[in-house]
Amino acid sequence: MSNEEDREVKQREAGNRETARLWRAWRTVHELVQDRGYILSEAEVKISLEDFIHKFNSGDGNIEKTRMNFTAHPSDEMVARYSNPVTDRDPKPAAPDVGPIKVKFEEGDSIGIKNMRKFAQELTAESFHTGIMITSVNITPAALKIIPAVASETRIETFLEADLLVNITHHELVPKHVLLSKEEKAALLQRYRLKETQLPRIQVGDPVARYLGLRRGQVVKIIRKSETAGRYASYRYTV
Amino acid sequence: MATSQMPKSILKKTSYPATTTSKEDRDRELALYHAELIQQRKDIELEILLSTETLIDYPLATAPYDASNPSPADAKTFKNLLRPFQPGDYDALIVERNINERCGYTLCANSPRKESGGGRWRMVGKHGKGKDFRVVDKKELEKWCSEACAIRALYVRVQLSETAAWERGERGENTVKIELRDEPKSDSDTVVEGLEKLQLAGDDSTKKQDTAHLALERGERGPAARIGSVDVKILEKEIQRAPEAPSLEDQDLTERLDTMHLALEGHTTSFGSNRHRRHEEEEEDTDWKL
Repeated sequence: MSNEEDREVKQREAGNRETARLWRAWRTVHELVQDRGYILSEAEVKISLEDFIHKFNSGDGNIEKTRMNFTAHPSDEMVARYSNPVTDRDPKPAAPDVGPIKVKFEEGDSIGIKNMRKFAQELTAESFHTGIMITSVNITPAALKIIPAVASETRIETFLEADLLVNITHHELVPKHVLLSKEEKAALLQRYRLKETQLPRIQVGDPVARYLGLRRGQVVKIIRKSETAGRYASYRYTV
Repeated sequence: MATSQMPKSILKKTSYPATTTSKEDRDRELALYHAELIQQRKDIELEILLSTETLIDYPLATAPYDASNPSPADAKTFKNLLRPFQPGDYDALIVERNINERCGYTLCANSPRKESGGGRWRMVGKHGKGKDFRVVDKKELEKWCSEACAIRALYVRVQLSETAAWERGERGENTVKIELRDEPKSDSDTVVEGLEKLQLAGDDSTKKQDTAHLALERGERGPAARIGSVDVKILEKEIQRAPEAPSLEDQDLTERLDTMHLALEGHTTSFGSNRHRRHEEEEEDTDWKL
């Protein structure tokens, strides 16, 4: 095999590998969005590699990342889970803190303040409640500081492509995490006569907490398999 | 709280007045005090972030200004915005500028140098002396447009304070005064700078510095001495009449004759009266004794 051919084969293989990576990240992020309770069709989530290439190739064998961006709206069930319960003290509670989500695959070999600011402006302008930015490289520390600075307008989460190659919640050692609604949380605390701070904790930066987009103060129910009891549920308070 | 008469405590200042009675009030004050500290820190961090964002797009002025002769306005804002920065924040600014295809030195409008070819390392100083030879990461070289800009940028970096801005305190002693390697060359600016450097008599800060030195010399350690709160005022003695040299004439002759035989080169030593006086002083002034 000549040198020329060798290089061509290598290039094609690298392109294929990159395509496969993007396809896997795409599937995981769709599963993530669906698991959080947004409405997505099965066809979108379970796209095959062939269909994926067919849909997003740019003609020269590469994938166009800009076309991979997508949006989703929360389902009624999700809105109900985030809603604030009506109580005597608070007869007209505030609207649930959820809304449409936008997922963006960011291009470029370095992501700085400018990119992050632009994304935040996009989200605010199109009135998206949440934004997920997926990058292939690390974001600079300064750019990450933009996220809390714009937290009052929009909620930004960031993921690395490398972290989305597999869906961690499908691993057999990761138990099922279920987010409790505010009513369920109140009932739980009532049942066990606890204060919320007396529950075991889970950090906001925990991989599963990041996957589910948990917020400080929420409680998750963790359902484990148990040899003796069949199923064993524990609860964790997000800090 | 210590009044002005009481000696200054060397203990850490309490954040609440000692007169507060209830525990809730004290706890509340303490919590508020710490909350304010945290809020202050957050404010400064946000300020640094916004300054970084502003400085990414610098310099605003175009030709004839360049890095070796920056526009006075740009240089002034640059120096002002950089004040709360730590070296780490400055590094972040350089990285952000490089991402936006700008030279790492804030007052340089050029795009950074692109090293051609692969490989991670580059050899620098191949033609000079042996000690100048270095092997440098390619990324380090791609931060700047030229060697001169690298020097200018690092010249600024070493002047930044390692102390975080929220720990520097409000006193002027820690305010960072940044100097550029290539200051803007305009007449008005040079004059202004010259005026700033001019030491005017009775400058408040130098006076405080002097009192602080004096306190140190006298062995006063403690917070009062450090911040120079031992306020020493040196006043000129007021003169009522024209000065005249002392003469032997105005003293009574008989008085002088009494002690004449004790005089040693014109000075009369005295024993009894002096001892008596010292004894009196000791009784009067006892507050320095333990």
